[in-house]
Amino acid sequence: MDPLLRADGVSFSYEPDRFVLDDVSLSVRRGAIVGLLGPNGSGKTTLLRILGGTLKAARGGVALDGRPLASLSRLDLARRIAVVPQETHATFDFTALEIVLMGRYPHLGAFQLEGADDIRIARESLQATGTAAFEARAFATLSGGEKQRVVIAGALAQASDVLLLDEPTASLDVGYQFDIVDLLLRLNTERGTTMVVSTHDLNLAAALCGELVMIRHGRVLASGATADVLTPANVRALYGVDAEIAMHPRVRHLTVTPIGRAHS
Amino acid sequence: MTRTLLALALAVRILVAPALGGAMAQDASTVPHRVVSLIPAVTEMIFAIGDGDRLVGVSSYDRYPPAVQKLARVGGLLDPNIETILSLRPDLVIVYDTQQELKQRLARANIPVYRYEHRGLADITQTLRAVGARLGSADAANRAAAKMESDLAAIQRSVAGKPRPKTMLVFGREPGSLRGIDASGGYGFLHDMLGVAGGDNVFADVKRQSVEATTEMVLARQPEVIIELRYGDSLPTFDTARIVREWDALSSVPAVRNHRVYVLTGDQFVVPGPRVVEATREIAEVLHRR
Amino acid sequence: MAAPIRKRLLGVVAVFGGLLLAVAVVAPLVGTTRISLAHVFDRTTPFADNLDAQIFFIARLPRVVAAALVGAGLATAGVVFQALLRNPLAAPETLGVSIGASLGAMIAITLLPATAILGVPSVSVASFLGSLGALAVVYALSIARSRGMSSTVLLLGGVVLTTFLGAIVSFIQYLADFTKTFQTVRWLMGSLDVGSYTAIVAALVPMVIAAIGYATLPRTLDLITLGPDAAAARGVDVARAERVALVSASLSTGAAVSLGGPIGFIGIVVPHLVRMLVGADHRLVLPAAALFGAAFLIGCDLLARTIAAPVELPVGIVTAMIGGPFFLWLLLRRTR
Repeated sequence: MDPLLRADGVSFSYEPDRFVLDDVSLSVRRGAIVGLLGPNGSGKTTLLRILGGTLKAARGGVALDGRPLASLSRLDLARRIAVVPQETHATFDFTALEIVLMGRYPHLGAFQLEGADDIRIARESLQATGTAAFEARAFATLSGGEKQRVVIAGALAQASDVLLLDEPTASLDVGYQFDIVDLLLRLNTERGTTMVVSTHDLNLAAALCGELVMIRHGRVLASGATADVLTPANVRALYGVDAEIAMHPRVRHLTVTPIGRAHS
Repeated sequence: MTRTLLALALAVRILVAPALGGAMAQDASTVPHRVVSLIPAVTEMIFAIGDGDRLVGVSSYDRYPPAVQKLARVGGLLDPNIETILSLRPDLVIVYDTQQELKQRLARANIPVYRYEHRGLADITQTLRAVGARLGSADAANRAAAKMESDLAAIQRSVAGKPRPKTMLVFGREPGSLRGIDASGGYGFLHDMLGVAGGDNVFADVKRQSVEATTEMVLARQPEVIIELRYGDSLPTFDTARIVREWDALSSVPAVRNHRVYVLTGDQFVVPGPRVVEATREIAEVLHRR
Repeated sequence: MAAPIRKRLLGVVAVFGGLLLAVAVVAPLVGTTRISLAHVFDRTTPFADNLDAQIFFIARLPRVVAAALVGAGLATAGVVFQALLRNPLAAPETLGVSIGASLGAMIAITLLPATAILGVPSVSVASFLGSLGALAVVYALSIARSRGMSSTVLLLGGVVLTTFLGAIVSFIQYLADFTKTFQTVRWLMGSLDVGSYTAIVAALVPMVIAAIGYATLPRTLDLITLGPDAAAARGVDVARAERVALVSASLSTGAAVSLGGPIGFIGIVVPHLVRMLVGADHRLVLPAAALFGAAFLIGCDLLARTIAAPVELPVGIVTAMIGGPFFLWLLLRRTR
């Protein structure tokens, strides 16, 4: 089956002589959860922005369902790809419902106001992320985990095929991290949402992603099924760290236990 | 013993004298001969007394009489240049009473000062006399002051018995529009001049030197005469016509309706010195023109 | 909050519009001089002799209309700047457009001969040109960064421009003739006593253009406040929206300042007040700010011309005296 999202030879640099991404290729099947794994500064966030179409690759390109991203209009793109950033800061006192309703923007005409349908979709999205109770609360007053779930609800309201998440659990307490992982897995199962998750967290990648693309210094180090790719050798190459990797009998996915600095 | 006392007395005299400032009668040996004046009005007074040749420096705003063109400029109320003043080696500096820092610095340099305060019409002749005394020309000053007073009295007599029109005396407004009209309030020498010239200030009840008159205030007070004062450079006639036309919007005001908006030009209207007589005469002329 | 947006919008317009209407009707009738409505509309007396009509139509009505325009213009500009810069403390003065307008006025008052251009006083025209000049600088700054407008760059640029132009304003005041300095100080305190309708009509032109720009913005502004990436990810053309916001708000500010002088606090206080009442959705905040800003300034001007009779206070002082303490209270409330 054709991949839903595909990157071919993507290169990018912010400054002339410092490239951030060099010849990166990857493909994402429909319904898969793919992790972009790598240390901070490896280019993951830039790659995610290019995959989402908010940044244009210097070389190479991204295709969504066979069509190059550049050929899609902004609104078209927003209807098909939704992004959950690492942190969302609301300058003004929007309620959680208002934040989620903003996800309906790509589906409305220029001067169209949200109708009953849009409100229903928004409420359902809040429900799906377990945040229905916060509907009327000011977004800024929610905890980190609650905010992330509301933002994910907003992405759901966008009714897109693809969800791109940038370090979704990086600033969350461990309890909330589990909540987010459970939520994402459930959404993937129930709605078949294709997800690309950028993270530096080895265990998050192991628990959530069925496939991994390891990025180091802007290049693909390894890619494939998590079971194949998440090896001590690759972890050492990626992070310079020795780790014990094992299949956990209770949760039935790999867990990674870092031991210490790798000494070559 | 006497010698010590004399020395003490001398010391006191030297120490205390500069701190006194103000108007003090001088004996002939200490008559100032190098005078710096920061106040245009006082400069004119000094010339009126006949001691204009003793001036070595004037303010940046001085324009009259023409002889001041040749004199050095030392700044004004807000920006007196202490270096220039000192370089002129004055033995008397006439300053505004509010120029604290300048007074202190001159005191440290042991230069006598005369403190000038700006007030009403009556104070002009008083100041004239005081300055004259300070310059050692009391007689000339008294004569000049007396002449001013009698001239003003003459003007007052000439308009006595004539109707006193309600007058608004405007000394500034935003160019090209009727915004920001600055009119004379019921206090100050403009108001006094108007009174002597035989007019009643529409803003006599506002006890301030200046009033910002809005269009509503002008309409409500219904002045019978509007006098606009313009100073700086004189205006060609067509400009005067335009200035008068700008008041046409307030057509219900008697002054506008009866074509009694006048423009008077010249510094004599804003310098409270000897030329106020001339200024008052001009005001009287337009007030009672038929 | 759960009520559909359409109903809330109608409610907002009804309430704030009603307030504006009430204030606008009462204000021209109230003042230090008592006038009677009957006399104002008495056709038998020719206008040139009808004092009540003259006070109503020449002194007060233009003031009320000007106050409405300036109040609406500054309040909406404040809302848009706060969204554009993602900063609740931003104001129309922040980016330097206001001081550019002031500089234009200074130059006209102190250096240029008094003329009227198509019936509009030269000071107002010069003031508006000054605001356009400042806008050009800010606009150039914003597009120099090819990756889209950074709000930090804009803010810093605005601060620098404001300081620099402010220094030039002071310099011109210092150099000018003593009496002209007095007039410049007066102008800087703000005055709505425009006396004629030509200046108002002239100011209306850029304001209408700004309003057209605003009409395309409200939902987009909501999204932009979440950040340019978040907005772009939801399909917003961020660069275009930021340009439209910057130009519209600057035109609105320039027109308002050239009409009434730099009247402070409206651009920062009214947006916050309105948000406290209707929430953060810009589709409600923008129209509410326009209507409330207009009503607020009409009210302040009414106070300014009655409270210190027989003299009038500059309206900028009244807005500061009301706005200042309110703003302090707002700050204290936020930090709790």
